[in-house]
Amino acid sequence: MTTNTNQNQINQTAVLDGFESIAWKWMRYSGLLLIPLAWGHVLIQDVLVGVHSIDLDYVALRWASLGWRVYDFLLLAFAFAHGVNGLRQVLNDYIRQDSTRTKVTWVLLVLWFVLSLIGAMAIIGGVRIPEV
Amino acid sequence: MDSLKLNILGMARYRGKVGQLSFILHRLAGLGTLLFLAVHILDTSTVYFFPSLYEHAIEIYRSTPFMIGEIALVFFVIYHGVNGARIAIFDLFAPDRWNVETQRKSAIWSLVIAILIWLPAAFMMGRSLLVNNFGL
Repeated sequence: MTTNTNQNQINQTAVLDGFESIAWKWMRYSGLLLIPLAWGHVLIQDVLVGVHSIDLDYVALRWASLGWRVYDFLLLAFAFAHGVNGLRQVLNDYIRQDSTRTKVTWVLLVLWFVLSLIGAMAIIGGVRIPEV
Repeated sequence: MDSLKLNILGMARYRGKVGQLSFILHRLAGLGTLLFLAVHILDTSTVYFFPSLYEHAIEIYRSTPFMIGEIALVFFVIYHGVNGARIAIFDLFAPDRWNVETQRKSAIWSLVIAILIWLPAAFMMGRSLLVNNFGL
C-alpha cells in the first residue's frame, strides 16, 4: 500500500445535507452557469453595443424577441439570488450573534424578493414607450 | 486611520499571502457587482414602471465617471467569474487537489487569466469613452 506523503492533503469529511450545504452547492453551480449568462450580457451590452447606443427603443427591440426576455429573466433570477446569498455568507462571517443573523437573513430575504419581483415584472410587462 | 486599517484587516484575517488576497478580491468583486446589480435592476425596471425616467438613468451611465466605473465593474465580473470557476471546479470535481501549493498557483493564474480577458474589453470600452465623451 502506498502512503500519500503530501503534507498539504486535506482530510475530507462527510457533510450532512442542510440549508447551508445546499447554499454552498448553490453558489458553485449557479456561479458556473452565471459565467456564460453574465459574461454574455456584459460582452453584448457593455463592450459591443455600449451605453451610448442603449435607449428605450433598443430595450424594446431586444425584448421583442422572447429569447432575450427568457435570457434576461434567467440572468436576473440566478445573478441576484447568487449575489444576495453571497452577501448573507459574507455578513455571517462578521456577525457573532444568532439573533442578529436571523434578523439580517430576513432583511436580505425581503430585499431579494422585492427586487426580484420588480425586475421580473419589468421583463414580463416590457417597455412602455411614453406617448409624446 | 491606522487603527481602522488594522480593524478591517483583522476582521478579514484568513491564511495570508496570495490566498488571502484572492479571498478579499473575490469578495470585494462580488459585493461591488451585487451593489451595481441592485441599482441596475431598479434602473432597467423604469422601462416598465416609469419609462420617461429611463433616459435620465442612461444619461448618468454615459457620464465619464460612470464609464470608468463600468470598466472597473467589468474587471470585477470577469475576475469573480474566473476565480469562482477555479473554486467551483476544485470543490465539485477535484476536491482531492485542494492543497496550499496548487491553490497558490491557481489563484495567481486566475488573476492573470482575468486580466488577459479584461484587457481587450477595457480597450473597447475605453475607446468608446474617448470617442463619445471627448470627441476623439
